[in-house]
Amino acid sequence: MRLVFYTGKGGVGKTTTAAATAAHAAARGHRTLVVSADPAHSLGDVLGVAVGGEAGRPTEVAPRLAALEVDARATLDPHWGRIRDYLVELFRHQGIEGVVADELALLPGAEEIAALLAVEEAARSRRYDVCVVDCAPTGSTLRLVTLPEVASRALRLLLRVQRAVATVVSPVARVVVPVPLPGPEVFRDVDQLLYERLAKLRELLLGDATSVRIVVTPERMVIDEALRAHTDLALFELGCDAVVMNRLFPPAAAAEAFFEGWSRWQEERLAEVEASFAPLPVLRASLADDEVIGVEALAAHGARTFGDADPAARLCAAPRLRFGRGKGEYRVELPLPHARKDALDVAKVDDALVVRTGNRRRAIPLPRKLAAATLVGAKLDAGTLVVRLAPAASGAR
Amino acid sequence: MRVVLLTGKGGVGKTTMSAATAIGAAAHGHRVFLLSTDPAHSVGDALGRPVGARPVEVAPSVVAQEVAVLDEIERSWSEIQDWLRGLLREGADELVAEEILVFPGLEELVALRAIREVEALGEFDVCVVDCAPTGSTLRMLRFPDALAVFMGGVFDLERRAARALKPILETVGLRGLVPGDEVFAAFERLVSDVDDVRQILLDGDRTTARLVTNAARVVVDETRRSFAYLSLYGVATDAVLVNRLLPSAAQGGFFARWAAREHEELAALEAGFGVPLLRAELRAGEPIGVEALAALAREVYGARDPAAILQRGRPLRWRRVGATTRLEIDLPHVSKEEVEVAARGEDLHLRVRDARRAIALPASLVGRSVQSARLERDVLVVTFA
Repeated sequence: MRLVFYTGKGGVGKTTTAAATAAHAAARGHRTLVVSADPAHSLGDVLGVAVGGEAGRPTEVAPRLAALEVDARATLDPHWGRIRDYLVELFRHQGIEGVVADELALLPGAEEIAALLAVEEAARSRRYDVCVVDCAPTGSTLRLVTLPEVASRALRLLLRVQRAVATVVSPVARVVVPVPLPGPEVFRDVDQLLYERLAKLRELLLGDATSVRIVVTPERMVIDEALRAHTDLALFELGCDAVVMNRLFPPAAAAEAFFEGWSRWQEERLAEVEASFAPLPVLRASLADDEVIGVEALAAHGARTFGDADPAARLCAAPRLRFGRGKGEYRVELPLPHARKDALDVAKVDDALVVRTGNRRRAIPLPRKLAAATLVGAKLDAGTLVVRLAPAASGAR
Repeated sequence: MRVVLLTGKGGVGKTTMSAATAIGAAAHGHRVFLLSTDPAHSVGDALGRPVGARPVEVAPSVVAQEVAVLDEIERSWSEIQDWLRGLLREGADELVAEEILVFPGLEELVALRAIREVEALGEFDVCVVDCAPTGSTLRMLRFPDALAVFMGGVFDLERRAARALKPILETVGLRGLVPGDEVFAAFERLVSDVDDVRQILLDGDRTTARLVTNAARVVVDETRRSFAYLSLYGVATDAVLVNRLLPSAAQGGFFARWAAREHEELAALEAGFGVPLLRAELRAGEPIGVEALAALAREVYGARDPAAILQRGRPLRWRRVGATTRLEIDLPHVSKEEVEVAARGEDLHLRVRDARRAIALPASLVGRSVQSARLERDVLVVTFA
């Protein structure tokens, strides 16, 4: 299943663009699902039909087109069932009733996990050729797409700690403090969520079938944020395959006296975006002559935006992380478009390479062969970070 | 101190409206603090001059500040973070600790704490807050409920358990698992901070929200939902600000349909909310700088004082009718199927679409069941048996 995420600053038209992509893809014959992962959903508003989803099920809105606004609680219920039951019992023990467990579903990352589980379920069902995800504004998108990586590391650690506590401490604890401690079935659920689902998600997100498209409008602040997002996404190996320039004035709009001069600076911004994001294609989505609402209008808008291109295709093969071998050393090449040298930091910590750009950091797990190598140097070469590692002295043992 | 919160869907012009509101209030003789809590700060862009984490005078009687949320979290959570880092150090993975520590809603809350600090200065009559987009603002509102319950129950328990378990854990070499007293103290500070913020937000005599919107269907739909959610959480909305209306010179030709749609949406907005609807036209360029913003404020507020409470109302109220007490909540544009009500123990549980809230019942109603819950002219009325 092809997976396309749409991201961008608030108000640029992500939802309309995502829905238009989906409607157009469906019209071209792809079985398509469009998912809204923004807690302030407006997918239903744009489609003109309620798509809240009974118990997290997508709603059919047109031939080959289904839509879903993810409800964190409904989606998480089946997965968190036993974990939740445990928490409920723990709370009840303290005289607190039901609502708390519901509220817990609103705590860290729950919304992002729910959206990802919905996507993974769609992939597993084999019912769709394409899944288009309308993300929350930029920052949250990154949290969404990096979540499987962060969560699986966090959960694994917590699990180990918890297990130690439960096996060593709980027999004693039960006597000392009369508190229900999690039983093995709770751990099994965490395990399942962790190893099976998250691992699959990670694979799905980093695979060639997944790409991110950044939506921008011809405004400087919007473009600046898009550039940062592009770097951050690359750091986590999420390939972008296009930029959509939204709300460009068509000639008829630019001809209106009141908007004189607007098309000139719009053209300037467009040229900037094309230059900065090359080789990514920049799709032009013109301002329509009316608000784009309903499947039909969306499909037409999608057709205008994509022209002959298949909206479900991978529009550009962005380079990814590569491990290579030079003379007597290893090389790690990580494309980091728009990254600035002074905001970049590389270190080797245990068996991972820790790369920081601006205020994002990622620990990239190294292949076993490179795990013991030492960092020799790093440089930024035409938008690609090249890290050199020297093999651990062999035969030293 | 008066508090005016401006929120709305992304991209509608919240920041510009916040800055205009602040400058307009100063023109009415108030000493104004303009606070940006949106992590994607742009107050500086609207004012056409840099604004940072330190308060800076941006116009006569107007001081502005962009809250540095991550620094604030670091400042107030360092004990908790250290403990979690210690927990995770087992796997040499400190990055994770940082990632998981930023709860959704926490950022907004920490940012809103700044309101309290402004108040403590005693130098300002009004604090205008440029909030994050609707989704985050709503998250922030429901966060206090969740946290209060969580802290109230689990935390006491944890603390008792921690004391009891410490010696045992020490013997098996897992001492780092037990949070020390400084961690509990940090949590407690957080809870009391949250409570303070909540007091301010829910005090309808000084705090009101203003929803910024555009006259487009999708934006208006979200504005309606936000209005209902704010009511549900007890925050009073005193005006809806409609931004970027097409000026008459731009309503023909290519934009004729857009103009027609605007008229439709404006009519719906006027009929819909029962609060003043204020308007601003689209300008040839974004209004940047103090003068342009002052002009915008005059256009939006007319002769009104932007710092005034433009409509007094308590969106959530307990009322005695005869011998019985009932709950009323203003919920315009909400249909019957979207509401769920149930009394459980000491709380009344409410759901409006995907927003949930537990409201503490007055003592006289604890233990009673809900007799009826119905929507009467945009007001949810709950009566008890």
